[in-house]
This record gives sequence, structure tokens and C-alpha cells, in this order.
Amino acid sequence: MAALDTAWRGIGAPGVWLTGAERVMIVEEARAARACELCHARKAALSPAAVEGRHSAITGLPQASVEAVHRIVTDPGRLSEAWYRRVIAMGISDEAYVELLSVVAITTAVDTFDRAAGSARRAMPVPREGEPSRRRPRGAKPGLGWMPMLAPEDVASDDPPLYESGGRIGGNVHRALSLVPEAMMQFWDMFETMYLPQEAMRDFGREYRAIDHAQIEMLAARVAVQNQCVY
Amino acid sequence: MLRGSGKHNGTDYSFEGIVDGDGGSGVAAEAELLAFADAAVVMDDRLGECRGHVVDRLGHGAMIDAAAVIAGFDAITRVADGSGIPLEAPKAEATAEWRNRLGIDAFWTMKS
Repeated sequence: MAALDTAWRGIGAPGVWLTGAERVMIVEEARAARACELCHARKAALSPAAVEGRHSAITGLPQASVEAVHRIVTDPGRLSEAWYRRVIAMGISDEAYVELLSVVAITTAVDTFDRAAGSARRAMPVPREGEPSRRRPRGAKPGLGWMPMLAPEDVASDDPPLYESGGRIGGNVHRALSLVPEAMMQFWDMFETMYLPQEAMRDFGREYRAIDHAQIEMLAARVAVQNQCVY
Repeated sequence: MLRGSGKHNGTDYSFEGIVDGDGGSGVAAEAELLAFADAAVVMDDRLGECRGHVVDRLGHGAMIDAAAVIAGFDAITRVADGSGIPLEAPKAEATAEWRNRLGIDAFWTMKS
């Protein structure tokens, strides 16, 4: 699947707030999180916040990033705004967190697909030299989610065209990563090839995949239940 | 979206079996696909067996497309839950009864 290859390679490139090396370390940490004893203990606890300890980190990422990566990977359904505020207070910016979230999401998509399809886990992306561009969209506003987001009507002419392909209507899930438009576009360019572009979702008179609309939506719903996703 | 699909083809799909994993949704090849999704997401040792059942019932291409959907939603649920986005008000209103009935709203109380 070419879109997965493109997204995977793209992780190694310098991002907007993170270097290529930092982005690749997020992939390493995301893969290691599933074997982390602290994460296992928190997952089993009634309240994950009540379990203290240190993650079995394998990279040099700051503790805030390690905590974010591990919890997003191992217990996403119980993340809360209070948890997010604690992570930000540990020393990661809203923007870097959003970029981290997109890298974890791409890593999850690629690794879950390879595992499900019976393919070997692929080699780590190769980090590339270069500095993050550090550009924040001026129109991003707080209020929808935990961090500021960029609504379609607030996109400026010098912002990346994050809502222009695939019929992206600016639903809340489209806006989730919009504080870092490049991260949003990397994720959605990949995701739409795995699921369906917006215009195909409600085109029930035509099937776009080897499984039909109902089968696709049943799978989507089941995975959401497994991950305790309310959205 | 599943309700929309059902309206189009005149089938009243049931969500209960999808939520509890017991089946009965009315979707074709439900048992094979649900088992495949569960095994892929929770890293079950039976994943290879489940994959084989999907290939036997629907073909290799369908298995690949199912794997893509499962993986895509394993990722996008993390984007949604990791950003704190709310469900849009019209969707929340339209789905309030069955989300409550199926226990999906209880997920909110588990957050910490």
C-alpha cells in the first residue's frame, strides 16, 4: 500500500516542531510501549493516574514525550484533559504534542496493518537532517478540543491547504491535528486510502473496496469499541 | 455510517452484536471479520487463523482491505482520544439513545 510507505518514510523527515531524529524516536518508543510494565499496571488499574512509576523508555525523549507516547499507545480510551494538562506541564508544547500524536497514529496504522495482513514489521524510518520549520497557523483558536485548532474558515492563504483534498469538510476529527497542518495532512492522506475519502463514505450506491460499506463500518465500529473511543 | 448503509440497502443492522462482539448485526461475513478485527487490535495469537478465515470466505483482496480499515481505525481512534475533540452536536443528538443503550457513553466515565 503506497500511502503507508509514503507516510512511513515521511516520519524520518524534519517536521514542523520536531526533528527527523525525534520523530523516529517516537516510533521506537511507540513500539516499546506495549512491553512497558508501568503501562501494563496502569491499564489494569481502575484509575491509571493512581499508579506511579517510570516508563520502560528506550529512547532519549523527554519524560513528557515518553508519557504521551506510552499512554496514547496503550490506553487511549481513558485519556482526559486533566492528563493532557499534566503532560503539557511536564514540558512539551501544544504544537509538539500534536505532531507527536500524528507520528504515533501513523506508527499505529502501519504496524497494525502489517500485523493484520501477515507482513513482517517494517524497518525503522531513516531520520533525515534538517531543522523543524516551527510555523504555527495564525488562525488556530482554543475551544474545541484540548489544544487550539484551525477551522476551515480560519485557514490563511499562506497556510498549507489542509482541507482541500478528499472532500475534507472540517469535521471535528479533521480538525484534531490542525494545529500542525502538515501533520494533519500526512495522517489524512494515509488514512483516506485505508478507509474511504469523504465523498465515498456516503456514496452507498457504489462499492470502492473488496468489502462493502456495511462491512467497513462494522469493522470501524468494532475497533472503536475495542479502543473505548467515544467519538 | 452503518445506519446509512442499512437505509440504502433496506437492512436494519444491529449494533448490539458489534459492541459486545457476539454477532447478530446482519452484516455479511460478520463472524470472520469481527474475529479478525479483535485479533489484530488486541494482538491475539489466533490472528493468523482469523486472517485465513477471512481469506477463505471473502478472498485475499478483501482481507487486505479489512486489514487497512482495522489499522486505520486503530490509529484514528487515538487521534480522536488524544486531542479531546467532542462529538459534533447533531451526531450526539442523533445517536444519544443507542449510545446510552449500548453502554458507549460509559466510556466517558473511565477517563482520568
